[in-house]
Amino acid sequence: MAMTPQTETPPPPYLGRSVRIVGPVSNVDMNQTPHPRNSRGELGKALFNWYRNTISRDPLTRVSAPNHFADQRNFLAALVNQAPKGKVNHQRVAVSDPAAMTRHIKAVAHHMGADVVTVARAHPSFLYAASAPPKDSAARDVYQNRSGDVYQGRTPEQMAEQYPYIIVATTAWDYDKLQAHRHYIGDAAYHVSQMKAQMILKALEGYIKELGYSALRGMSNPQAAGLASGVGELGRNGLLIHRKFGARIHMPDPIMTDLPLVPDQPVDNGVEDFCKICRKCAINCPTNSVPFGDKVVFNGVEKYKINWLTCYKIRPYVDAHWGSCLTCATVCPFTKPNVWWRSLTVWALSTCPIPARPLLVRALKAIDDRFWGTTRQTRVRWLGYDSGVKPGEQACTVAGCTAVHGTAHAAEPVGNLGYYAPLKENTNRFVKRDV
Amino acid sequence: MALRSSWLKVPWRRAERRRHDPYWDFFINTPPADRANSVLDVIRKAPEGNVFPTRADLHTPEVTTTHVKEMARYLGADLVGITRLDNDDAGHPFAVVCAVRADDDPREAPGIGGQVPVQNGLFVTFVLSAWIRELGFRASAAVSADAARLAFAAKLGTLDRTGKLVTAEYGTRVHVADVIRTDLPLVPA
Repeated sequence: MAMTPQTETPPPPYLGRSVRIVGPVSNVDMNQTPHPRNSRGELGKALFNWYRNTISRDPLTRVSAPNHFADQRNFLAALVNQAPKGKVNHQRVAVSDPAAMTRHIKAVAHHMGADVVTVARAHPSFLYAASAPPKDSAARDVYQNRSGDVYQGRTPEQMAEQYPYIIVATTAWDYDKLQAHRHYIGDAAYHVSQMKAQMILKALEGYIKELGYSALRGMSNPQAAGLASGVGELGRNGLLIHRKFGARIHMPDPIMTDLPLVPDQPVDNGVEDFCKICRKCAINCPTNSVPFGDKVVFNGVEKYKINWLTCYKIRPYVDAHWGSCLTCATVCPFTKPNVWWRSLTVWALSTCPIPARPLLVRALKAIDDRFWGTTRQTRVRWLGYDSGVKPGEQACTVAGCTAVHGTAHAAEPVGNLGYYAPLKENTNRFVKRDV
Repeated sequence: MALRSSWLKVPWRRAERRRHDPYWDFFINTPPADRANSVLDVIRKAPEGNVFPTRADLHTPEVTTTHVKEMARYLGADLVGITRLDNDDAGHPFAVVCAVRADDDPREAPGIGGQVPVQNGLFVTFVLSAWIRELGFRASAAVSADAARLAFAAKLGTLDRTGKLVTAEYGTRVHVADVIRTDLPLVPA
């Protein structure tokens, strides 16, 4: 087929009820997203030093979190993402039935340990702009894994035509440990499953190349592909909310491919109706980065838009006690264990006629507030960690431990409440809420 | 990962679904044409990281043992045991042996799918040994010929006539991951 210089732009894709494309969307330059900007020092000294020059005092964070390691060789995701790319197999496996191949790829990803696998139809507006990430590893973000100049002079329209499918494969993080978010326990839940997702995607990318098809990384915006393929709907907190896992899923870099597949469709889990009423994440956000108001149009997309800069700016201040905030993901009423009563509730909500949903949502929100509380402060003990111990205090609360610890111990904490740093008081230094 | 509930899983469904998959045999049995398409070499050939200069404040060896085991299970190991090493070259007193469930025997299935248990095992041993090094103790994960014997010594199961590990939980459908040799104070099984 002769490549015409200007391919026609396809109509805007349907992304479900939560996000609507209303105007022209310009392709986002990956190098202008928060982490790469910060690694170039454009967000100020405090954030730059937090990102590039901080070694965590927690051993588990040093092996699982990007950029807070003492030695990068102990961090698996950096190793996997910076490994050389394999070649595409010359002997292509013929695909007679794309539906069978789609089932196969999903079974493969689940076999490797992925929790969620979907396939999106690629659209030019999902793609990142052509500029490649910097070559040297110092200025490069760990999670930027595009290999050189993949566009090679092609337009996003031509790319989406040539590689028509995007495979979104991801893991969910652990519910019980997430309850101790704003603590190293919650960090562990987040970062370990993130590393696992990176490894699974690398292996899946290699497998598609072994089948004889291209697999491009660092091409597509994961949230756009996730919305189009029905991973979930976009919530008020700016996170994709999945039917089974709620907001506790990662959105790592998906795989763009020319393997013939059958794309999935956007879903309706009732997130749209819930977010209109709930606002739990906005109330709990320590920096008021989650909007209380309506959706806005940004870059031609109508959605709830969080203030990423204020969300980002809190990190150097809390670095001594935890790495990932995760408050908006934890308090979200959709973030619940994947059990029958949860499936029943989401089923009831998503089958309810849309005009009747606000009533049901109010009832569910009241139940959620009553049983799970308006904020989450469960005490979680895991390994030697205890979220009931105030950060900075020393106390060994491990049952059966008779070791003599070096530092003087504070009084043993009592009760079943986790220690929840009262960050809201400090909010004004980040952003003033306009009520 | 360890998130899936298994109490309602019908045992024959997965095998049934795979029999109808025309590409499953390729996934399991065809070795990769380019080794760079598999993550195994990347992880195995990676240089070992530094030991953190400050040792972490540890609990008693009994408690540390439960923590190491709990961590290994969280990372995806299905069985984990600890045994004493008598004559280790580097002088490490203990070995942490992790085993993962293997639907296909990685020694007979060279495909990317057949090697998935090895991949899962490498994830566990890499992160676990890196974690022990960050606690301030030496730990190195490496392929070892006597992995099954050490797994037996760590009481994960018994050995059959061919020297393969047989466990109570998974029978022979189990892959013993790389052995982590460490000087972290532990209590052998």
